[in-house]
Amino acid sequence: MDYNFQFNVVWRNFDELLSGAWLTLQLGVFAFTCGCLIGLVGAACLSFAPRPIRWLVQAFVIFITNTPALIQIYFLYFGLPEFGIRWSNEACVLIGLTLNAGAYLTMILRAGFLSVRATEMEAGETMGMSLPQRIRYIVVPHIAKSIYPALANFFIVILVMGTSVGAVIGVDELTGQAINLSTVNYRWLEYFTVVALMYVVLTFIASIGLALLGRWAFRVKARIF
Amino acid sequence: MPHLAVNDIHANYGKLAVLHGIDFKVDRGEVVSLVGPSGSGKSTVLRALVGLTPVTAGSVEVDGTSIDYAAPRAVKAARDRMAIVFQQYNLFQNMTVLRNVSLAPTKVKGRKRAEVEAEAMDLLKLVGMDHKAHAYPDELSGGQQQRVAIARALALKPEILLLDEVTSALDPELVNEVLDAIRRLASEGMTMLLVSHEMAFVREVSSKVVFMDAGKVVEAGPPAAIFDTPKSDRARDFFGKVLR
Repeated sequence: MDYNFQFNVVWRNFDELLSGAWLTLQLGVFAFTCGCLIGLVGAACLSFAPRPIRWLVQAFVIFITNTPALIQIYFLYFGLPEFGIRWSNEACVLIGLTLNAGAYLTMILRAGFLSVRATEMEAGETMGMSLPQRIRYIVVPHIAKSIYPALANFFIVILVMGTSVGAVIGVDELTGQAINLSTVNYRWLEYFTVVALMYVVLTFIASIGLALLGRWAFRVKARIF
Repeated sequence: MPHLAVNDIHANYGKLAVLHGIDFKVDRGEVVSLVGPSGSGKSTVLRALVGLTPVTAGSVEVDGTSIDYAAPRAVKAARDRMAIVFQQYNLFQNMTVLRNVSLAPTKVKGRKRAEVEAEAMDLLKLVGMDHKAHAYPDELSGGQQQRVAIARALALKPEILLLDEVTSALDPELVNEVLDAIRRLASEGMTMLLVSHEMAFVREVSSKVVFMDAGKVVEAGPPAAIFDTPKSDRARDFFGKVLR
């Protein structure tokens, strides 16, 4: 191979890659956090709501999980303006990713709802706790502990795979920045090598952070490495 | 006026009728025990009283006030006055012992956390579990968990305590620590309704024993009469087997 790597081009524009990484992290955290809230409501509905509402939630989950995130975001960005709704590209990615995460998290959290011991819920009920109180004080801590690893993995999926979809509608997150910059000087290989490493570092930091949070807040006895 | 009067209550699990008219009364400060073979409906009576199993007919009165189990408000009122302790303790696994005991009084009754926790510590002391206040349930033995569950029920300040086979899931050597806690409550004048297979204990603490079979009360009376000179064949047969 006689390709001549020239990384100095990359270092010169490293600031822009860093700002892209920062945006990636923000998008990931926001979509995951809001997705969790949607997922919690969705899972609660699937577990306790009357049938019509359950069907509605199920339809939402089936629709979202069986179509690519890219198409959903295209729909928001190129489709909605036809109906007079115009959102910025960043808003479209954010909303698209949040809905996408919400649907997947509904199913992940549902597993948590199903694994709550019915007897604990009964005990709460006889102690006069309302359903929202039982969800808040019995189900959520149980979920946080029992399916924390699944949640943490899903966060990484959103952070890496989810956010990079933004590049196709011009959001300057990490992948988007790499595309922008390498289009200027054709140093694709250098940019994408560095960006790949930046993703690894990003997820590495996120994984450690999540593991520590799990130990500290939820008594998850997972090994960090 | 009896503290608790159960008048001809019926209950179903789905289509299966499990209680066919149960009658008994519990006076204030009295300990009444429900005994009988498995599947006779003893636990169902307790579950019905706290609104976990729907009552399909009959009435329950606490202090002469009738409770309508079809009305959510009335069920809430029933749960205010009666607390239940389960066979499998059913502690909240993701909370410390202290939080298990103090959760409902703070969140349901809206009381101040500091005040509730001080009370909770007293209750834990009463059942001999104050030294484990900051442990999690999975770090405790069955007997210890059950004593915490009793403290948790008492934290709601019930007038009547329902105990559902609270020693059945325990290792034999842990049974006594739980029975001691119940004895102490009985001596303090707590009205209790207990379902148990510990016949010697039932005999010792109860002032009345209700013998049930197949969803009905077969006979009821003072422990000595029920255990030693049962009138019905079913009771004679049952005690003949379990008291030998």
